[in-house]
Amino acid sequence: MTATTASPPPASAPLDLRIAPARRRREATVRLLFLAAAAFSIVISGGIIFTLIGNALAFVVQVDPAALWTDGWFPRRGMYDIKTIVAGTLIISAIAMVVAAPLGIGAAIYLSEYAGARTRKVLKPIIEILAAIPSVVLGFFALAFISPTLVQTLFPGTPLFNMLAAGIAVGILITPLVASIAEDAMHAVPAYLREAAYGLGARRRTTSIRVVVPAAVSGIMAALILGVSRAIGETMIVAMAAGATGGSLFNLNPLDQGQTMTAAMTALAIGSDQVRGAALTFESLYFVGLLLFLFTFALNLLSDSFVRRVRRRY
Amino acid sequence: MAGTTLTATDAVERRLRGGTTDWRSWLLEGALLLSLLIALGILLVLLADIVATAAPVFLERPSDFMTSPLSARPEGAGIVQGLVGSLLITLIVSLVALPIGIGAAIYLEEYARDTAINRFIRTNIRNLAGVPAIVYGLLGLAVFVTVLGMGRILLAGGLTLAVLVLPIVVITTSEALAAVPGSIREAAFGVGATRWETIRSHVIPYAAPGIFTGTILSLARAFGETAPLLLVGAIAGTFSSSGGPIEQVTSRYTTLPTIIFHWAGYPQDEFRALGAAAIAVLLAVILVVNGAAIFLRNRYDRKW
Amino acid sequence: MLSLAMVGSLALAGCVTTPTDSGGGTAGGVVISGSSTVEPISSLVTEDFGVANEGFEYSVDGPGTGDGFALFCEGETDISDASRPISEEEIAACEGAGIPYVELKVAVDGISVLTSNANDAVTCLSFLDLYALMGPEGDGYGNWSDQNDLADELAGELGEEFGTSNAPYPDASLEVTAPGEESGTYDSFLELVFKDIAEGREADPVARAGYTASADDNVIIEGISGSDTSLGWVGFAFYEENADVVKALEVDGGDGCVAPTAETIASNDYPISRDLFIYVNTDKAAENSTLVEFVDYYLSDEGIAAVEEAGYVSLAPEALEETRAAWDGR
Repeated sequence: MTATTASPPPASAPLDLRIAPARRRREATVRLLFLAAAAFSIVISGGIIFTLIGNALAFVVQVDPAALWTDGWFPRRGMYDIKTIVAGTLIISAIAMVVAAPLGIGAAIYLSEYAGARTRKVLKPIIEILAAIPSVVLGFFALAFISPTLVQTLFPGTPLFNMLAAGIAVGILITPLVASIAEDAMHAVPAYLREAAYGLGARRRTTSIRVVVPAAVSGIMAALILGVSRAIGETMIVAMAAGATGGSLFNLNPLDQGQTMTAAMTALAIGSDQVRGAALTFESLYFVGLLLFLFTFALNLLSDSFVRRVRRRY
Repeated sequence: MAGTTLTATDAVERRLRGGTTDWRSWLLEGALLLSLLIALGILLVLLADIVATAAPVFLERPSDFMTSPLSARPEGAGIVQGLVGSLLITLIVSLVALPIGIGAAIYLEEYARDTAINRFIRTNIRNLAGVPAIVYGLLGLAVFVTVLGMGRILLAGGLTLAVLVLPIVVITTSEALAAVPGSIREAAFGVGATRWETIRSHVIPYAAPGIFTGTILSLARAFGETAPLLLVGAIAGTFSSSGGPIEQVTSRYTTLPTIIFHWAGYPQDEFRALGAAAIAVLLAVILVVNGAAIFLRNRYDRKW
Repeated sequence: MLSLAMVGSLALAGCVTTPTDSGGGTAGGVVISGSSTVEPISSLVTEDFGVANEGFEYSVDGPGTGDGFALFCEGETDISDASRPISEEEIAACEGAGIPYVELKVAVDGISVLTSNANDAVTCLSFLDLYALMGPEGDGYGNWSDQNDLADELAGELGEEFGTSNAPYPDASLEVTAPGEESGTYDSFLELVFKDIAEGREADPVARAGYTASADDNVIIEGISGSDTSLGWVGFAFYEENADVVKALEVDGGDGCVAPTAETIASNDYPISRDLFIYVNTDKAAENSTLVEFVDYYLSDEGIAAVEEAGYVSLAPEALEETRAAWDGR
């Protein structure tokens, strides 16, 4: 038999199995590029925090503490009553959750437990399309429809700009978000849990409410918290429909006008770079921005912790 | 054993014989279905209201509306400046956010080991995705308009939205990449491919539908954003536009959602109709794009 | 999607392209900002000028007289619309920044006091009433009738000088929607209605704090029309434009109740009349021939017709001549 294998190199020199240098260089370059892209996100966060804190600090240092507890938020007069805008934000978010929580979770339970596969295939995309409606459209809808036709008919004497109409519109905005996340959470509950329940003779109602929902409760909580976070950060609807664009007295009545943190920022920034008024008017914009950022940041961390609980269980 | 409660045997027997369930179940199912229908019904009411209000504009001067610039006279006002602004901004967003976002996602899913700094980057991106849009407007105002000295031009608006959309691109791409099973990668490694070669030839093609859907949804989101652009200089007024695309990118601008915001402030019926018509155009674009993305995702969704 | 966006934007950009002979940028263009009251006039003039002159670059918006002056005195705008004369502080700011300007009166406006169409209880209010209801000493932000005591007090002190009091006021909720501090309409109203009374009472002539403020006159109309017993004030043109949804009250400035109409405003019978101005940066006018042509057009018979189209009252011929002389002699 003729030996056809090549004779191995002399025993003293081992095989060079490393990849070609050019290939290796390309590999390293590519890795570096992608790393830079990922690290860029830190640059962004840094930018946000740096800008917000820098200007907000200028505000905090110079502001007269008495101005932070006045009758209302009138930045151009130097009245920076924080509780006014925080109250506005909380009222609108509360109304939004009253709308979105039952609608969203109800729709989610139906889609996950009751709807057939075909219905689900049709309805789920429609809900996702509802989620795509921009907030400026819902703001217009609040002003043109919800306020005159719904709120002013139910509660005559309400002004056109009121927090109830804005809150309802924000609720409509976040319903698809809540429904989507809650539905994903319920869908992720393993089949064996449901089957165990059915195997004991439970009805669908019992299984859904007593087995699936408790199993998915972390995901549902995450959905609600994310909904609140989105409602707090919502700007256009409240800027268009809740009124009080120049400033607002401290007000807890939803049938009246009110200003949220986000609407206050919009009102301040639309004028010009150098917003007229008491010297700190422009810096107050960043101060409110920082407050808003901290609120939503805390809520997102909270929601994350709920999501991690779900992942751990299954 | 109480005589009124059902035993398990009875329940199964009843069910097999097709007996009706109790009224409480009907009530619950009805309530749940109702909540779903209300959510959908709101969408229908909204669309109907918009179409009804916008009808006069589209019946009288449809093409004129789409090609006229902004005007103080409602009879001649149109949205073309907003359309151009929105399209150019979407272009800038895609050129900036997509490469960086997809690159970051590839790093996080394919290259990164589970170290503290990588976990930090991941958490950071998730948090950025939850930051309200208007805060990005503040960032854009401070960095692009003021510090970098661009002024209130379209480029600044585009970059601001690119930064806003970036975390969403990263997250959706990460999910698409994570869904590709390990066996695909291992097959490539097994024949001696490097990591980048694996990603390029095996992972990305399989994850492509998911990545594509995610990017489309992100761009549609940027198309509809208003609040950050108001802070960064989109005009809510009237102005002239001229010049080719390059010139437009470096001048003042407006976008379709900004026009809607501006017109919503006019109580006159003519401007209500104009606002509704502009919304109809905006919704048409967004719904078509989103619908296409969802359809494609459902079509190419592979089950592993 | 990407290629679609590119092709789409290039195509549409082509649609809005107008051939420019200048090198681009704002050197050959006009930037106008300021009062939202004057904005409709300036918008119409820029548009018409643009139709006659291809390649004319402009931008017009209306964040408020005060904000407009802030930009103007930094050199960022060419023309500042104003619904009140420039203030001392603003003069100082412009001087400090080395910005010379010329003040050009372009129209006369009456400030209408409005309430919703559904409000039948009130037809005429005097300065005294307005001060009681919306002035600095107004308190109890809810109800018209809350101000009855203050009105009686003022009547006792001031007599008929500022008109007869129309108290007692109806027992209805009082929603005030009016311009905010950045608006010239706010300043004018204060100046014309509150100032004298406030000085007599040694109060600060500002409006009370609890009202819905906006620089956007359209938003004010919306707010007033949307509530049954509302009160507010806005430029006459905005009232005229929306006369079907809001009601103008007659105002008594000491000489009986007068309703706002073009005639009563022009003749000064209506007590809350004021002038509308544009301020032009003369340095920029020296360098920018387009700006000069534009202002020439603005003040010409053709251009100034926009004042009436926008719903305001034209200047008397002598006043218009004065303005033209001021411009020519800048």
